[in-house]
Amino acid sequence: MTRYPDHPFRSGFGILSLSHRPHGMNKRKITLISTVILAAVLLTACSSGLSGSSWPGITTNGDTFYVANMAHVYAIRATDGSQVWRFPEKPSRTMYFAAPVLVDNQLIVGDYQKILHSLNPDTGSENWTFVANGPWIASPLVIDSSIYAPNGDGNLYALDLSGNLLWKFAAEKALWSRPVGNGDTIYQASMDHSIYALDTATGSVKWSKNLGGAVIYSPTLSDDGMLYVATMARELIALNTDNGEILWQRKFEESLWSQPALHEDTLFFGDLGGKAYGINRLNGEDIWAQTLTDPVTGKPTVTEDSVVFATENGTLAALSFTGERIWTETVTGKLYNGPVQFDDKLLVGVALGESPLVLKTNSGQNIWSFIPPK
Amino acid sequence: MNIWDSLIITPFINVLLFIYNLIGQNFGIAIILFTLLIRLVTHPLMVKQIKGAQGMQDLQKNEKWIKAQEKYKGDKEKLAQEQMALYKELGINPFASCLPTLIQLPIIFGLYQAVIYAMATTPIDLLNLVRHIYPGLLKVETLIPLNNRFLWMDLSQPERLFIPGLEFGIPVMVVIVVLTTYIQGKLIQPPAANPKDQTAAMSGMMNLYMPIFMGYLAYTLASGLALYFVASNLVGIAQYAMLGKVNWANVFPFLKKKDEIVVKGKKINR
Repeated sequence: MTRYPDHPFRSGFGILSLSHRPHGMNKRKITLISTVILAAVLLTACSSGLSGSSWPGITTNGDTFYVANMAHVYAIRATDGSQVWRFPEKPSRTMYFAAPVLVDNQLIVGDYQKILHSLNPDTGSENWTFVANGPWIASPLVIDSSIYAPNGDGNLYALDLSGNLLWKFAAEKALWSRPVGNGDTIYQASMDHSIYALDTATGSVKWSKNLGGAVIYSPTLSDDGMLYVATMARELIALNTDNGEILWQRKFEESLWSQPALHEDTLFFGDLGGKAYGINRLNGEDIWAQTLTDPVTGKPTVTEDSVVFATENGTLAALSFTGERIWTETVTGKLYNGPVQFDDKLLVGVALGESPLVLKTNSGQNIWSFIPPK
Repeated sequence: MNIWDSLIITPFINVLLFIYNLIGQNFGIAIILFTLLIRLVTHPLMVKQIKGAQGMQDLQKNEKWIKAQEKYKGDKEKLAQEQMALYKELGINPFASCLPTLIQLPIIFGLYQAVIYAMATTPIDLLNLVRHIYPGLLKVETLIPLNNRFLWMDLSQPERLFIPGLEFGIPVMVVIVVLTTYIQGKLIQPPAANPKDQTAAMSGMMNLYMPIFMGYLAYTLASGLALYFVASNLVGIAQYAMLGKVNWANVFPFLKKKDEIVVKGKKINR
């Protein structure tokens, strides 16, 4: 007698019912295996958030562009966009979130699997590694012969150029933003809502300030010792680097997912509501505001005669310094940072698009696109 | 935001984070309480499903059913007609156990996805999470970053317990997930009517594959999900126990004698 499944199979994540009427054991096995595979696909599809969580980080030495994107770091010829090498050569499970940094003929780049790599920029071979306890989300800062690398484990690691630990500073939560510095002091913003001024030689805290919200993007440092930082409390805050005193702070209606760019006395940045702003850096008041419609993300890029804003939906909008629109171009994919300027061209890192790197003219015209070889 | 996000994911995320906030920002406890809450809400559906399944199980002991199976062995069409007639006669809805399950499925996947969303471990994940938060209910600035620490675990990372002297971490949660999944599967497996019972054989296979599968997920995915799997398994066992549908003899063999009586249908003594 054939008996039908008269009770559901219960998995650890819930209850799935085998409600079909199999005619024999083979069909039952097939259904069982199919169900497990379906569940596996659904669960892993839901959980593999990392695959869509990275955006390309770019740096260049003039001849070559270095792009950390998804599972690889690529070296790409500036002339034609062809690949010189990639690291690792074979596909791996790790991801790269932070833009590589070039220093002393080394390419420093951290991955999501806790490893900071020093690569040979000519060949992609590995010089040394440094292992932390968390993922590397932000790029390191290099001052003189020291590397200051913020990690998701909440530590800022100071290393020499051979990867030896000099000191480390522990914040209370993860560090997702790149520090900025001016020689003696570096300024590290943290997810723990605070910004820390640290002595570059020892890592000791000179001052710290609670900003009232987590910080995702780096602060911007002016030549005259002012820090400008956007927080998840929808605030743009200006601080005095001498003592951390808040000079002004301004609340916005929409969330800020942007780092301000500085040009003379104007700060350029945008919000997720689709507005781009030019703000007086001395008092935080609007000079102009322009609606771009799409959510404005990352740090705008200041060129010779314009400021280029990136939006999450793939639009690049070049505005004059007084806020008039000059040109608008769209790429296929999402943008989470402004383009990198290279000579009179713009390097655009694209997330979730066909091409992670597009080279454009200063007026937004495509020169080439890099499509990673499989 | 699509309909799935608006109707399931976003409310779930907000409830999860509301609980998190309410209990003093402990994400581990929030996952456990959230799992418990969802299971309680879907409990009536589960009861219906079990009753439906029980009806189908009882039907297979019905003499008319057995006779029809034998009589129309080679004629599937006629057999189907007879079965439908019998359903009608006995007032049984063959889909009574399927429908509640189908309704529960999106809730369960929604719960799972809400946990994933809330454990945002990268900037884009965090951006997506922020967009799901109701500003009138929760304040992003006080909520973010979430406190992902629970016991020895970082709930956003795969779990390993490092013991001084050992160079490798022990995946404790994987062991607990495998054990609780196996025990749950065994406990809710009904007794086999006969040794050749294919359903029982299939359940046996499932009880072997599922713990391995769940263990693999717990080994590779964030430990917050492993915690959810464990909570879900334990709540599931408790629910079945409350409904008297737990077959303790499958895990505690010394109770077997009592259960054999149940199998033979002479006396139901639970």
